Amino acid sequence: MLLDINSYVGHWPFKQLKYNTCASLVDRMDKYGVEISVVSNLNGIFYKNTQSANEELYQEIRSETRLSNRLIPFAIINPIYAGWQSDFEISIEKMGMKGIRLYPLYHDYELTDPSCIELVKMARDRKLPVALSLRIVDSRQRSWMDLEKEWALKEIIPIIREVPDARYCILNVANSTTLNEEETEILKNTDLLFDTSGRSMNELPELLRIYGENKFAFGTHSPILDYLTGLLRIEALREKEVDEESRELIRSGNAGRMLGI
Amino acid sequence: MSNGINRRRFISDTMLSAAGILAAGSQAGCSSGQVAGPPAYSLMGEVKKYRKMDAHAHVDFDPGDIEKQIDFADRLGIDKLCVSRPITNFSGNEPEDQEEVIRSNNLVLKAMKQFPNRVIGFLTLNPIYRKESLEEIDRCVEMGMAGYKGYTQVKINDPLYYPIIEKFIDLKMIMLMHGFCQLGVGGYRMKYDAGMAPNTSIPEDFVDAAKRYPEGMFQFAHIGGGADWEYECKLFKDYPNIYVDTSGSNNEENMIDFAVRHLGEDRLFYGSDGSYYQGIGKILASDLTETQKKKIFFDNYNNILKKGGHHVT
Repeated sequence: MLLDINSYVGHWPFKQLKYNTCASLVDRMDKYGVEISVVSNLNGIFYKNTQSANEELYQEIRSETRLSNRLIPFAIINPIYAGWQSDFEISIEKMGMKGIRLYPLYHDYELTDPSCIELVKMARDRKLPVALSLRIVDSRQRSWMDLEKEWALKEIIPIIREVPDARYCILNVANSTTLNEEETEILKNTDLLFDTSGRSMNELPELLRIYGENKFAFGTHSPILDYLTGLLRIEALREKEVDEESRELIRSGNAGRMLGI
Repeated sequence: MSNGINRRRFISDTMLSAAGILAAGSQAGCSSGQVAGPPAYSLMGEVKKYRKMDAHAHVDFDPGDIEKQIDFADRLGIDKLCVSRPITNFSGNEPEDQEEVIRSNNLVLKAMKQFPNRVIGFLTLNPIYRKESLEEIDRCVEMGMAGYKGYTQVKINDPLYYPIIEKFIDLKMIMLMHGFCQLGVGGYRMKYDAGMAPNTSIPEDFVDAAKRYPEGMFQFAHIGGGADWEYECKLFKDYPNIYVDTSGSNNEENMIDFAVRHLGEDRLFYGSDGSYYQGIGKILASDLTETQKKKIFFDNYNNILKKGGHHVT
């Protein structure tokens, strides 16, 4: 079975998106055999008050059973905006969100900002994943109003050093995965998942050799990226590169474990 | 699933969990009954369904590189690779002289000989060397190459290209040309320095060349190469002798559907430019019909090669 740990609904201000509602996402899941998706609301990247986006997502998901049965929401929290602790509590306790997504580049703070560290520790204490996307769009074709900066894998290490016992989802790994030996060991010893949506996952066989099959999970980065490339990287693995049991871990097992389902 | 959870049980448990958390502090009222999952989808079955000709593939001088490309092709069921070795000079300090041109084309010729049933060779040139370029076309075509791949030494609409374009018109061969369209590289509002070579062809340069030579065939490289594909497709709409390949590492949703809507289903070619998964994934995920996908994966480019007598059967 397939569990997508990286999908969105909502709008991107600079380009029209297709399949960017919960209903159209579930239609997409039905078409391609995906049973569960972790979803966040893109609008939360752009709203100053991200909680409005979380509320939008919550309302949309609860509007139909077929949506609430299939979608697992992650809250977007901005830890330098007023009321963020309350946003976190409400998102988790009242709205049933199962993890959080952070956007330091868009929300203008450092990953090691004390508030960010506090938020990650709060997620850790609830055993909730913290999702970090190395980029949202390819900055080469961005709007003149969008960010130029993208992260390399190395740049998420500082928060892991600060909170090594949290759970992390590292999404859309699109840039350099080069790390020194010590940094590689940090990632290997952290409870984290890389999703398969980013272009650096073209080297998945080699990455599997380095990190092992427990570190990867199916992700689409839909609706920004096409729905199938992240899955193709898994399905095209050869038997000598991954046995069927390990392939299932990547399709859904690893994500299910991290989500506690 | 592994770890002892069967598929049906997992679905049920997940829904119970998801519904449970949504209902916990609200009036969400989600049901938690057991519901069948979606029907299985065979992605590799879809991959294998289509014959594929990669209209934008490369070989480099790294030992074993062509074997690596063929291995990707085997993994993903790509029948033919249209292979070139343009002089990219990313560092700005690499040779771009005629000797390097010949060295590059010889590498492609070697790949053609090594994998005669898989590799279709495309030659490269540095048009600054006018006489030598025309001679190199003769040499490479004589050796069985089927088209051209240019890079950033000279813009496609520069007069230096005129005799080369005219030669390829006579040969009925397509000219695949690197192009770009992003902030800092023409196209629109140049507010940033993107570090591109100053002679990088932009979409407007292709339009200029296509208008001057309506009988020429111009292939704008990689709409997925990181450039603004909406801009490119809109600009090329009214120029039927400009084609695009879908290659590149960017696999944004809607790229293929948007391109077909603006250019029609005959002016797109499947390509990878080394991004093999994205190249196939974005076409399979599009809303195109099976017939349209078949054309883009193989038939369209084969029809182009047929004009010069280099198609495959």
